[in-house]
Amino acid sequence: MYYHSYINYKENSMYIYLPIAEQPIHSLVILGVGTFLGLIMGLVGVGGGFLLTPILMFLGIPPPVAVASVANQLVAPSVSGVLSHWKRSNVDFKMGSVLLVGGVIGSSIGVVIFNFLGKIGQLDFVIKSSYVIFLSLIGSLMLLESLRLILRKRKGKVSRGKLHQHNWLHGLPFKTRFRKSKLYISILLPILIGILVGILAAIMGVGGGFIIVPAMIYLLGMPTSLVVGTSLFQIIFVAANTTILQASQNQTVDIVLATILLLGSVLGVQIGAKFTNVLKGEYLRLILSTIIILVSLKLLSDLITAPSDLFSITINR
Amino acid sequence: MKNLKFYFLAIIFSISIPFEGKTLNEIVADLSQGNVKISTNFLGAKILLFGAYDGKQGDDIIIVVTGPKGLVTIQKKEKIFGMWVNTKKVNYINTPKYLSISSNRPIDEILEKRTQKLSQIGLNNLNIRVQPGTKIDDNVGWREALTRNMIKSNLWSINENSVSLNKNALFRSYLNLPSNVVVGEFEVKILHYRNGSLLSKEKNTINVSKSGFSAEIYNIAENYSTLYGIFAVLLAVLIGWGTNLVFRKF
Repeated sequence: MYYHSYINYKENSMYIYLPIAEQPIHSLVILGVGTFLGLIMGLVGVGGGFLLTPILMFLGIPPPVAVASVANQLVAPSVSGVLSHWKRSNVDFKMGSVLLVGGVIGSSIGVVIFNFLGKIGQLDFVIKSSYVIFLSLIGSLMLLESLRLILRKRKGKVSRGKLHQHNWLHGLPFKTRFRKSKLYISILLPILIGILVGILAAIMGVGGGFIIVPAMIYLLGMPTSLVVGTSLFQIIFVAANTTILQASQNQTVDIVLATILLLGSVLGVQIGAKFTNVLKGEYLRLILSTIIILVSLKLLSDLITAPSDLFSITINR
Repeated sequence: MKNLKFYFLAIIFSISIPFEGKTLNEIVADLSQGNVKISTNFLGAKILLFGAYDGKQGDDIIIVVTGPKGLVTIQKKEKIFGMWVNTKKVNYINTPKYLSISSNRPIDEILEKRTQKLSQIGLNNLNIRVQPGTKIDDNVGWREALTRNMIKSNLWSINENSVSLNKNALFRSYLNLPSNVVVGEFEVKILHYRNGSLLSKEKNTINVSKSGFSAEIYNIAENYSTLYGIFAVLLAVLIGWGTNLVFRKF
């Protein structure tokens, strides 16, 4: 018996094989997703990480790879954002450093939890269900806030700026002065916030901007002008720490995926920032909150509808 | 002389192969080295196996291609508080991560059930075991779930009637490697049967590996994982900083 063989590769230059996710994906799809999320970041000011990870999961990227690669991509728009805010002197580096100490501790804890969940086979479930909880919460809060603003503006009333209020949390020990933020509060509070946000960031693949921004305004009482720049500053380090830990412990950072995404997102941020003055903020928030709610509903339906097959396989490499 | 005739026929055969899919750039390459390369644009591969055998009317050819073997985990979901959560898992060892069985007519017509079992031909006749120490409630259910899910992932397949025979002397078959194929050594067995008993066989290996850019990234991520992570962060910082410089002028 004799035999011979020929190979016939199926290739398409528009597709790119993701080396860590181990699957091909259309490069324009990923670039488009990155640009869209960047536009949102530029327009609304909050990070797109919490939308990016679920979208990647919908596209079939394994959740652990999605989470780790989004952490990687978040570094770029955060660096770019901090530099712009720094120029306008909108970053409180002292507060940012305290927050990032907590953030680095928190994200390290988060990666440990992430590994544990992976070992017991509950990672996908925990990632998806925490997204359902956070997205539905944030989506509905944003929706209500934007509707309230739209109605108020229609009535012609001008909203009053919030006064900085002291609460009991500020009175914890180790009080420190934050000159830039005009605050004299316990250092433990920002560290604690940093830890909590860091844990979430590592598990969910988000920068945590959507949690840390309200926490800085309402819990710390920081001036709103400093909040975005300072939160971006700490996100750089939390995202960087998560990326390095995920890469070294789980080998789940897909640098190709992250780089295409971040090229799209940095471009989108710049375009978005140019249009912030053209489009009305409250309408933008209305659209964004609707998207967020839709994404959380899709994730929820994935969790509650009976799967077509109760069994699923994992091929160990 | 026989060799010459074979190559002549082989060339005619390969010229007449129709290629499908117009959007894909299909590259036909000699597989004499037995290497399949997963490159940056890899969407899967189709391998043409063809050759000559010394046959009579009514002979059969079965081609079994087995990929690298290892651990495959199956998880089962149950409804808890209205949500479907993975609750149980079973590890199967010695499981081929790729398996393709092709034949010129239905295998049940070629071989008796007993022979199929003995020679491990068929998706349910494999020497696969549950990892020692695992308590298992429903052996058949789990094993069927393994087969079902491997088929669904395009990693296992039974392709009856897919081997074409010509003049009792030539055979030809296609092998599909999906884009999610595992890298490693693939064993190709070509079995020639007459009246249900093995007459001759030919064994060979195909090596599936990642090549070029994606292979290097994969290797660096596996072997220098911390450095890889630091590099990934630095690259992101540089791009973020770079865009800021570029867009500052506008």
